[in-house]
Amino acid sequence: MYPYEGMFLVDPVLHTGDPDGIEKTVSGLLEKHGARIHQFSRWDDRKLAYEIKGHKRGIYLLAHFEMPGGNVDALRKESRLTECILRQLVLRLEQPIPQYLEAVAAYHDKMRQDQDLRRPGRRDDEDGDGDIDMLDVDGDGDSDDSYRN
Amino acid sequence: MREDKGKRKPKMKGKKKFTRIRERRCRFTRLKVDLIDWKDTNTLQRLCTGQGKLLGRKRSGNSARFQRILRTAIKRARFMGLLPYVGA
Repeated sequence: MYPYEGMFLVDPVLHTGDPDGIEKTVSGLLEKHGARIHQFSRWDDRKLAYEIKGHKRGIYLLAHFEMPGGNVDALRKESRLTECILRQLVLRLEQPIPQYLEAVAAYHDKMRQDQDLRRPGRRDDEDGDGDIDMLDVDGDGDSDDSYRN
Repeated sequence: MREDKGKRKPKMKGKKKFTRIRERRCRFTRLKVDLIDWKDTNTLQRLCTGQGKLLGRKRSGNSARFQRILRTAIKRARFMGLLPYVGA
């Protein structure tokens, strides 16, 4: 069993129709290949930087799981064949999942404290509080940084 | 022999030492991070040009180590459609 981080870009149209069903399809796919899921999260619907399989928007599902190394190829192959998954990226982590998640949280904390980024009156600090305003990529008025928790 | 000879400051040998502590130019080294999160599009975007090209080390000030890590992070973000390959 090795630690992995997997990101799956799913079709927003199918996801809106049946959000739980799509998420279950993806988590079921992982479990089918012997994965033990540690964390499973969903990002908000966001605009893609370029069109992927004719879609301009997409929903990202992020999973951290442990899985036997031999099953990864089969998982990649099957997720390519799954209709609702537009794109997937499975990465082997260098450290165990809890440590990795801690390191990522520490990284985000440090980046937030960065003096360069906290200079008030910057272009992306419209409210002038010295904090970074989250980018609103899809222009629907809310912040798109659902990853931050 | 002059009386104040012993009181004199010893002459500096060689070049004057540069004592001013310069802040590290690489923001990742300065912040002592262990990794660069490839999902953090805000930071990655800042290190790309308007066209989506990766900024050079001279421009961004990144250390060689973090420039390599950043390159991987940006390529992963591009693959997942978080960052553009070209254009904005």
